[in-house]
Parts: sequence; structure tokens; C-alpha cells
Amino acid sequence: MRFSLGNFIWRIIDFIIAAIFIYAGVLKALDPVQLAHDIDHYKILPWAVGVGLAFYLPWLEIFCGLALIFRLFYRGALSILTALVVVFLVATIAAKVRGLDITCGCFGHASQNWSFPTHLALDLAILVALAALCYCSVARARANASPMPTS
Amino acid sequence: MKFSLPCQALILAGLSLLPGVGQAIYFRDKISWQSPIPPSEMVSVDQAREWGDNTIWIDARPDDQFARDHVPGAILLNEDRWNELLPQFLAVWSPGKKIVVYCSAQSCDLAREVAERLRKEAQLTDVFVLEGGWEAWVKKNRS
Repeated sequence: MRFSLGNFIWRIIDFIIAAIFIYAGVLKALDPVQLAHDIDHYKILPWAVGVGLAFYLPWLEIFCGLALIFRLFYRGALSILTALVVVFLVATIAAKVRGLDITCGCFGHASQNWSFPTHLALDLAILVALAALCYCSVARARANASPMPTS
Repeated sequence: MKFSLPCQALILAGLSLLPGVGQAIYFRDKISWQSPIPPSEMVSVDQAREWGDNTIWIDARPDDQFARDHVPGAILLNEDRWNELLPQFLAVWSPGKKIVVYCSAQSCDLAREVAERLRKEAQLTDVFVLEGGWEAWVKKNRS
């Protein structure tokens, strides 16, 4: 891949998004019991399903973050992370609309005092970055797929 | 070797399963898959009744529900008025007493939260959550 300023900037964004998800995943993996209770507070899933997700989701975030950094299964990782953020945003807004007082649990105890607008702003920023990375990945794939013009 | 997008997602999802299962096995004693409250912190109505005068009943429900009806002798202690209500609980507590916290039903989370606060903030140890909550108590005592 040729070096260009554009590619460099996209890689920086890759690393920032990956770092966020790896950091969040590690924090949650350290206390899955608290994460299970945080998931339960949304009152969407049965308790047993929440427990399963509490053990599974942090590792999914960590592996997808690593995939972004090392460019292995890159598009798969982007898709999974985008889906996670969308689902989480919908769940958070639904909980707020229902009047539930929830602790996000996104970054374990580090984020327990964050306000709802702060959470929302960060999640939307991450979603925009992921969408931009998806677009860039598709554009790159198309550029690689189109035949070189012969003069 | 190029993998399709669904394949990539499946591989990542599958890889994540391994440490997740490992953690679930490691934490199996610290969390119950049946209920948010570990069995060691739950007590049935019959068990709590056996403790007799050694029990302090804590009602974690909102004020209006407590006012309507509650376990005889129960003390109201909810998160809405925690600082205001805690002193009256501490006035009747003494070492050796068993504290049984209840809210409306098994699905209610208030009792677990109040019990957790009593353990963490008041450093109390013999704190239990009533299995089935107020509904279970009514069933046992008034049927």
C-alpha cells in the first residue's frame, strides 16, 4: 500500500477506535459480574442471557480492536463493532425513554459517573468514525478491484 | 487467503468465545446464572422466620408501598431517602442481628441494591435478600 496522507489519517483513526474498544473490553473483562448487573439494569434481556453477554462481549471488543490494528479480518471487525455500537445506542436511548436510571457499563467503573449526554456524544462519535472507516474500506476494495487503465 | 465479510465476522465471534467460556468457568462461584443475587445472599421466608427476634426486616420499596402494608416491625430504607432513613436502621441494629431486605417481588432489584449498599457503606455482613420479596411473605403469612 502506497504511503499517502489520507491512508495515514485513516490508520490513525483505526488505532484510536481500536484503542477505545480494547480499553473498554479490558475494563469490562476485569469485572464481568458488575457488567452482568449493568446489562440487567437495561431490563431488556433475561438475567442468564445478560450473564452470557457479560462474559462474551468484552472479548469480542478486544479481538475486534486487535483486528483493526493488525488489519486481520478488518471488514468483519468493522461490521461487528458498528453493529455493537448501534445496538448499544438503541438500548441506551430506549432505557432513557423508559425512565430507567442506568449506569452505562461501557468502560466499567471508569464511566459510572458519566452523564447520559456524555455517553451519547461519545457513542455517536465512535459510530461516525466506524461508518467513515467502513466507507473507506469499501472505496479501497472497489479501487483495488477496478482494472488498471492501459494506455 | 481472502475471507468473505460474514466469514471474517464468524471467525472473530468464534475466537472471542474461547476466553469468554474460560472466564465463565473461572467466575462460576462468583455469579449465579439463575438470579442476580448469589444463593448465599438469599433467604426464604421460612428461614428468615426461624431467626425470630434476631432478624431486622428492611423494606426497600418506595414510601407509598411501605405505608400501604409491610412486614410487621419492618424498617423502611430505600435509596430515595437513604441518608434520612439510615440512622433509624442503625439505631436498632446490633452485631449478631440478621438483616433481611425485601422489595415487591423476585424480579425487583431494589432489595439487592439496598443490601449491596448496606454491605459496602455500612460494612455489614449478615445481610440477606428475601427470596420472592413482599409477594412471597404475603403468600406465606396471609394465605
